[in-house]
Amino acid sequence: MNLKIVKDTLVIAALKSIPDFKRQPLLLFMVGLISSIPLFFILVFGGQIGYGLIGAMVSTIGFIGINAAIQEVSADRYVKIREIIVAMPVSPISYAVGIALAPLILSTPSLLFFIAIAIWMEVLPFSSIGWLIVSLVLCWAALSSIGFLISTYLQRASIYTLNNMANILGLGLIFVPPVYYPEEILGGLSWIAMIFPTSNAAGLIRVYSGSLQLPQEMVLVRWLILVIVTVVSIIVVSFKAKWREV
Amino acid sequence: MDAVKSIDLVKVYHRKETVEALKDVNLSIKKGELFTLLGPNGAGKTTFLRIISTQLLLTKGEAYVFEYNVTTQPNEVRKHIVVVPQDVQTYGNFTPWEYCYYFSQLRGMPKSKVEENSERTLKAVDLWDLRNRTCATLSGGEKKRAIIASALASDADILMLDEPTSGLDAVARRKVWAVLRELVEQGKTILLTTHIMEEAEMISDRLAIINKGKVVAEGTPEEIKGLAKEKLRVVVEGNSKDTKLLQNNSRVVKFGGKQIIYLKDENEAIELVKTALKKGLKAEIAPVTLEDVFVKIVGGEEA
Repeated sequence: MNLKIVKDTLVIAALKSIPDFKRQPLLLFMVGLISSIPLFFILVFGGQIGYGLIGAMVSTIGFIGINAAIQEVSADRYVKIREIIVAMPVSPISYAVGIALAPLILSTPSLLFFIAIAIWMEVLPFSSIGWLIVSLVLCWAALSSIGFLISTYLQRASIYTLNNMANILGLGLIFVPPVYYPEEILGGLSWIAMIFPTSNAAGLIRVYSGSLQLPQEMVLVRWLILVIVTVVSIIVVSFKAKWREV
Repeated sequence: MDAVKSIDLVKVYHRKETVEALKDVNLSIKKGELFTLLGPNGAGKTTFLRIISTQLLLTKGEAYVFEYNVTTQPNEVRKHIVVVPQDVQTYGNFTPWEYCYYFSQLRGMPKSKVEENSERTLKAVDLWDLRNRTCATLSGGEKKRAIIASALASDADILMLDEPTSGLDAVARRKVWAVLRELVEQGKTILLTTHIMEEAEMISDRLAIINKGKVVAEGTPEEIKGLAKEKLRVVVEGNSKDTKLLQNNSRVVKFGGKQIIYLKDENEAIELVKTALKKGLKAEIAPVTLEDVFVKIVGGEEA
């Protein structure tokens, strides 16, 4: 891979996160706080905290994946920074990954907080951290690609439409599939959990935390689906996202 | 060597209705010159600039930047250009320094060069003292200068600026002009669009007037002004009912109590001024301006 692509990715991630981080440090807590809201209700109503913590981790990553990708790209288009970057020797891959990485940087403290609590409460064994990170990264990559695709494809949609779409999609992918609740509730429809990157990642984390029992081959299938959804999303975004206007 | 060249360039937008934004545009911009595209709103200036800067695909024809085809070799083109779009806005959380710093980094410059260029250009646009203030606290003109500074810091060979000084006050505008002319002296090529006639006249080496997607005039400011049949304008001010004497069969434009009378002959102009003064009116002679020619051309009449 071209070294400039990597360097540009990091510069875009920095320019999209460092000024915000320096001047709006409360942003660091915002994503975590939003993800903690369901956790609060789970605690109050006597639900299983383990489900809530895993849901909060996936929510932190998933919500910023789709939401930030759409909102950042549409904001760039609004202020016309995107026009400046399109006409620069910068790869669209650097732009897309940089934009997706920036909110990941901002949400890392929240994510680390949830992981620390989960380990401390013995919801998650320390040995499963590697699997947890891989599943979260795949989930983030898939949702960021979908977000980037939507925002670049709907070039004529207003910034308000795109922001509403980002919120609806983000919340929908977090709260509709079994992210905060056990997929067993869905009974015969529990296979739905495998379709969405959010609930699939949450399910896999639960497998490694010991709260979801699945046969080994089913775990393999779920990993395969998560990888396929991510790879297909990235391929679609590489081919379909419009960098230059027609 | 041509820095920018377009051959029979056509752009058609297929939206609710089909609009032909550019019609067989042929332009050559030489390396090291400041070339201005002048035209009324919707003339096609921005469309041309966006095609040349690889943001927008052309419909027909060809366009080149330093012999690189903008359609098939956009990555090569992008190494040589920098763009300031029309009505560009700033992120409130950014400082002018951050604009220059991050955007220069994206050009692949080493850190020392990034810092050197950022300082030089922020000083050039008179923003050095405000470099660490967030854009949210700057005036509209200062925000615009921050973006212009980030473009200037890029060290690109060709600067493409879409109405870069709109919204700036006269002092700030002249500072930007000085910086642009300095860059041209250093060998940079500048393509800019503007509505401001004084700007086009003062800083352009050459310019093209574009109207309804077509280039209707091209040349140096003096050559464009030479397209007018009349070489002089007499501005007469005051209330006179005896307009017959003043009109003198020449083209007259009236604005309230003011009349602009266009004349070919200097003696005729002097006579007209004498007559006006005798009648107690104010009168002055001046050469025709670029604006006079522009208004006549885009107004549909031959100059």
